[in-house]
Amino acid sequence: MVRDETEHATRITVYWQVKVVHKRDMFSHFSYALGIKGGLIMKRGSKARSILTTLLMLSPGLAGFFGLFFYPIMVTVVRSLRPEGQQVGWTLTHYITFLSEPRARGVIVLTFVLAISATLCSILFSIPLCLALRQKLRGHRFFRLTMLIPRVVPGLIGALGLLLLFGSRGWVNLFLIRFVPFINEPVHINYTIPGLILFYTWLYFPFTAVTTLATLEGLDPAIEEAADVAGANRWQVLRHVVIPLIMPGILAGSVLTFMAAFGAFSIPLIAGGNYRPLSVEIYKQIDLTPIRWSAASARAMIMAALQVIFLTIYMRILRRPAA
Amino acid sequence: MKLIRQYLTAILNARKLLVYTFLLCFALMIYLPFLMIALKSIGRGWFGRLWLPPELTLDWYKWAIEVTNIVDITKNTLIIAALAVAMSTLIGIPTGWALGRRNIPGKELLMSMILLPRMIPPIAYALGVAQIFYRLHLINTHFGVALAHVAVCAPYAIMVLSATFEGLDERVLEAAAVCGANAWRTFIHVILPLILPGILSSMIFTFTSSYNEFTLTLMTYGKDTITLPVRTYIALGEGYWEVTSAMSILLVIPSIFVLFLIQRQVAPEKLVGGFKGV
Repeated sequence: MVRDETEHATRITVYWQVKVVHKRDMFSHFSYALGIKGGLIMKRGSKARSILTTLLMLSPGLAGFFGLFFYPIMVTVVRSLRPEGQQVGWTLTHYITFLSEPRARGVIVLTFVLAISATLCSILFSIPLCLALRQKLRGHRFFRLTMLIPRVVPGLIGALGLLLLFGSRGWVNLFLIRFVPFINEPVHINYTIPGLILFYTWLYFPFTAVTTLATLEGLDPAIEEAADVAGANRWQVLRHVVIPLIMPGILAGSVLTFMAAFGAFSIPLIAGGNYRPLSVEIYKQIDLTPIRWSAASARAMIMAALQVIFLTIYMRILRRPAA
Repeated sequence: MKLIRQYLTAILNARKLLVYTFLLCFALMIYLPFLMIALKSIGRGWFGRLWLPPELTLDWYKWAIEVTNIVDITKNTLIIAALAVAMSTLIGIPTGWALGRRNIPGKELLMSMILLPRMIPPIAYALGVAQIFYRLHLINTHFGVALAHVAVCAPYAIMVLSATFEGLDERVLEAAAVCGANAWRTFIHVILPLILPGILSSMIFTFTSSYNEFTLTLMTYGKDTITLPVRTYIALGEGYWEVTSAMSILLVIPSIFVLFLIQRQVAPEKLVGGFKGV
């Protein structure tokens, strides 16, 4: 119905074009810039001008990108190759000193362990959550919003709340001591690696969950029905039909979780205790009184390089057709 | 037969119950930390193994307002967020329009390039931003901190806005032209009402982004431009957990309020979107 009307309208437009093509209104330049194709406007102007307009429109975004991202990255690269506190000379000492420290390997491994375990935990947690949310039970809107809460509040405050909740006097430990047999001492959760993984998962699982839910809802119910008709039970449908189909969505979301967890800063800063991943390691260098810009920059470059390498490998694996 | 049906219904109900229990646990997991902060902020003498604070007090809020000067800090945060939103929107509208509606060779590449700042850990380029800003004397100015936030907010605005502009229906514009509207009238009466929700949601998202931004602020703030997240961090370092909790509650309430306010209009799931596709 709508389509018919539109076609009719288009035919009329052609008629109008013929009739009004000589009319030049003062806003034609403006509308040309907007690229409105309605009727008479697209006829005018050369291709060069169109390209120029496009470039002009892209320029704020490009200026932002180059000024606030590319240039700072370049400054960091150059800084990391300069001797500390000097504007001339080239050196690789900052990379070498950091990488030859025995601690460095621990820091890098810790960063990866935290990020990868948090990603795995959020995948494992997101699948049942999304399956539960898909059923559209009463109040599912509320739970959907709940899922977004960790992304809306600052990470610092999430970390503060989690520290209070899982502390030796927090409710979780009170609950464990009271109701679980054989636990009489508070369990240490804060400032341990499992605790950090838990905190990371709490803060970064929404990336995975939202993408998974979107994929799950885009799934054609007919496929599941077909499997059902073919005699598969619920578990088999889930295991052999649903999960393989939503896997690309889950993995796409998990990339986001991984990237966020790899660059996580606020949580390890206040809840990390003695465990310092790369981001905190960088910050500690500029927290010193004579700021060690070069040392910090070298660490930042190592971090960015590691992330880019890992992401490239990950994408390779994702692109490969499922075996 | 009847028995079997009853049995099946019971199982079905039980499954529903199971799902609800699971969802409830999940909600508890998300909300309990905030409840703990809220209790901490109104309790006094909450030591030992007690479930609830023995004494209630509003002193910590008074402290938070008087000692940490939260009014000025809120003002700073809002000024910076407003500047960042304005700049990101001004960047986002033309660039988003070009990416959404014009023919650009290598559009995907350009888009992923613009979204790169959201993929690299902020601390990696925050270092460079801080060094440049020290040289330009932009540290400790509202404009400087806001400009640093734009590095994160603008890609967001561009992403949301280009999706909005892309979704604009060509046929509606044609219909407007058919009805004899010139370009200006088309813009005012047809395009603007259609894209306004998109612009609004991009503004809300960039605002939330800037309001919560910690890493870039930490690198560029000075004593006159302390924002709420940075103040929370400093207070945590000073060890006043009760006062920090009170501040956090004041800081969190607007965020959650905004989320519940906008949920119908703008599909808040977009808040989580880092970049398109993969």
